[in-house]
Amino acid sequence: MPFIDEILKYHSVSIVGLEKNTGKTESLNYIINRLPTDYFAVAVTSIGLDGESLDQVTSTAKPEITMKEGMFFGTSEKHYRERKILSELYDVSDVTTALGRVVTAKALQEGKILLSGPSSGSALKRWMSSLNNFGIDLILVDGALSRLSTASPAISEAMVLSTGAAFSANIKDLVARTSFVVDLINLPFFTGKETETEISSFSDLGTDAIRNHTVIGVEGALTNRLLQAVKNELPKGEKELVVHDFTRIFVSPDLYRSFIRRGGRISVRMKSKLIAVCVNPVAPNGIVLDSDLLCSALSAAIGLPVYDIVKDRDKYDV
Amino acid sequence: MTFKEIIDTPCGIRYCFDLLELQSGYARKYLLDSRMMTTAEEIVEAYASLDKFTSLLEREPSLIQNLQFRLQGLRNISNTLISLEEGSALDDIEFFEIKHLALLGDEVKQLFSKSEISNEWTTFDLDNIIRILDPDGLKIGTFYVYDSYSMEVRKLRRELENDPDNEDLRERLLNEEERIKRVLCNLLRPYATELTNLLHALAELDIVISKAIQRKKESFTIPTVGSSSSFEGMFHPEVKAILAQKGKVFQRISFSYQPGEPGIIIGANMGGKTVALKSLCLCQYLFQFGFAVPALKAEMVPAENIVFCFGDDQDQQKGLSSFAAEMLRIDRMISLVESGAKTLALVDEPARTTNPTEGSALVSSLLRILSNCPNLSLVLTTHYNVDSDARCWRVKGLVEDKEGSDRLIMDYSLTESSDNEVPHEALNIARKLGISSKWLEEATKILDTQ
Repeated sequence: MPFIDEILKYHSVSIVGLEKNTGKTESLNYIINRLPTDYFAVAVTSIGLDGESLDQVTSTAKPEITMKEGMFFGTSEKHYRERKILSELYDVSDVTTALGRVVTAKALQEGKILLSGPSSGSALKRWMSSLNNFGIDLILVDGALSRLSTASPAISEAMVLSTGAAFSANIKDLVARTSFVVDLINLPFFTGKETETEISSFSDLGTDAIRNHTVIGVEGALTNRLLQAVKNELPKGEKELVVHDFTRIFVSPDLYRSFIRRGGRISVRMKSKLIAVCVNPVAPNGIVLDSDLLCSALSAAIGLPVYDIVKDRDKYDV
Repeated sequence: MTFKEIIDTPCGIRYCFDLLELQSGYARKYLLDSRMMTTAEEIVEAYASLDKFTSLLEREPSLIQNLQFRLQGLRNISNTLISLEEGSALDDIEFFEIKHLALLGDEVKQLFSKSEISNEWTTFDLDNIIRILDPDGLKIGTFYVYDSYSMEVRKLRRELENDPDNEDLRERLLNEEERIKRVLCNLLRPYATELTNLLHALAELDIVISKAIQRKKESFTIPTVGSSSSFEGMFHPEVKAILAQKGKVFQRISFSYQPGEPGIIIGANMGGKTVALKSLCLCQYLFQFGFAVPALKAEMVPAENIVFCFGDDQDQQKGLSSFAAEMLRIDRMISLVESGAKTLALVDEPARTTNPTEGSALVSSLLRILSNCPNLSLVLTTHYNVDSDARCWRVKGLVEDKEGSDRLIMDYSLTESSDNEVPHEALNIARKLGISSKWLEEATKILDTQ
């Protein structure tokens, strides 16, 4: 079974999509279905509202999250009250969302559930630590609409990325944009002892801080403006930018690539492991890409296996 | 008067509140909503409990740690308990909360079973509540409508498992679950008051434990409740902590006052008059909310009103200057006193923002009109020479360094003094601060010609 064994090596895995309808929920259900939940305690939640039976934005059919018996889940009070499956309440946390507090329960039978977990990264972290008492081996987090922050290594150790026609309808462009994200995820660890100086994207970039230093720490976000300012100094000497993690990088692919081409380096202090990339060749507007072509082109670009879970479901189960 | 209303009084009470190691958000809210005690009986009772927990902390620190760990699970379920009492239908989440509370209460009761405090907790009859929500006797803090509640629910669930799409079965199951929940509500309703008392008792336990820990850590003392107020070795915890960070030591002070006899504190600038007044205010609030107070030894009197007139009371929103705001505040205090309420008034340098001639007249007259009020304890600080027979305390002020150097150092201690001639040390202190000598020499010349 592709990448399930890999997932079992981590304590927390987030599933993030680069766009709505890229098959994130499909990927999550695929994973849940194949986890050995009989001897492996799994908890699942989503950041913000998820698991609606109809997509709120485009009104396309959206698969629900299917719980297996014995699995733990975190959802809001509202959706807990509306659930249809039999489940045992384990905790009512003080983490609140627009839909009430986040409750933790164990499914006593298999069935579908609406997941609406903590709505911010820090609340999610708090909820995850509240699970310590229940002997959970693996926490799966369903990241919401293009919110990569869930994939921050500060929250989850590893991630599964889903992309597809909904992100871009042109295979070449889709591959380029997805592989840019993968490049960021795979940025190398910062190996030096400490940075020479710290700058922020909001500070005055005309200062000597950039000119006179080689290893520069970035406080908060790395933006186009900051990267451009550092790039301008590249001909005069080497530059290495140190960012907390890839979720703090908000630069355009072109600028990033030209910075790297000219010998600039970017490294991160924290890193999460990219386990797999899943694709959904079908977009809600009806465009369908050639799945095999997409998988092989993307796989060649990122050097990782790429799966079309919906199409190949039967193939992987053999 | 609740704790919430006085917490931002600029006397350092928030600092003491923030030092408390409260385990639950509910205890925090409970304390903030608690009413200020105004009778000796209430305060004596609160201190008896604080004393008991302080000695428990000495004898059995592990028990206290255990209790604190359990209390982290305390949640505010007062709305659920109100719903229960009013007869609303409760759902799984609310039953879970009640069960969680009852089990928490039971754990605390078990922990206390071998200690002297047990009798307060044995009165809680939690076994019946737990039995209702834990039909299988598992003593685990989880909840769902258990199979063992009815044969019917068990049967329907099994049938539905084999036929998951049968809407009729699902409907019947839902109805049966609803029926069980109604029965549970009816069974639990008689215990609503018991559960509310338990919720409050757990919050109070969290609060008293954190006060006991604060008393030990900060070396606070429990004052005796008497007919006059006196402090030995009083200190201001926040100022003490700030000084300690700079490697300096807070000089403790002793002071006393009593109802019907106004006291004034005079002394040099930077002599700690305001800090002394703040400490008095802090101690009074701590006392009336059942905290230990920052002193080596203390006797205190409860007041119905505590009035603290301090510093720059400018209220630009109301368009008042600092002088106007202060006068209005003192005026309110005078009417409180005239109404006969037992009042403690602490006033920092009244009328200091106006000219010294009128200012000292205002202060002298204030002392005069308030001198024969048996229901008022008044302490004020001033720089003015006042004409009054009030009890006068003086900051020792600048003295020569003991180590023989000719450096002058500040002695913050307060001594009772028969004359109320204010000290003339402003220039010396300014010199110590390194103020421009050109300016100070000019000032000396003017003084000499006077």
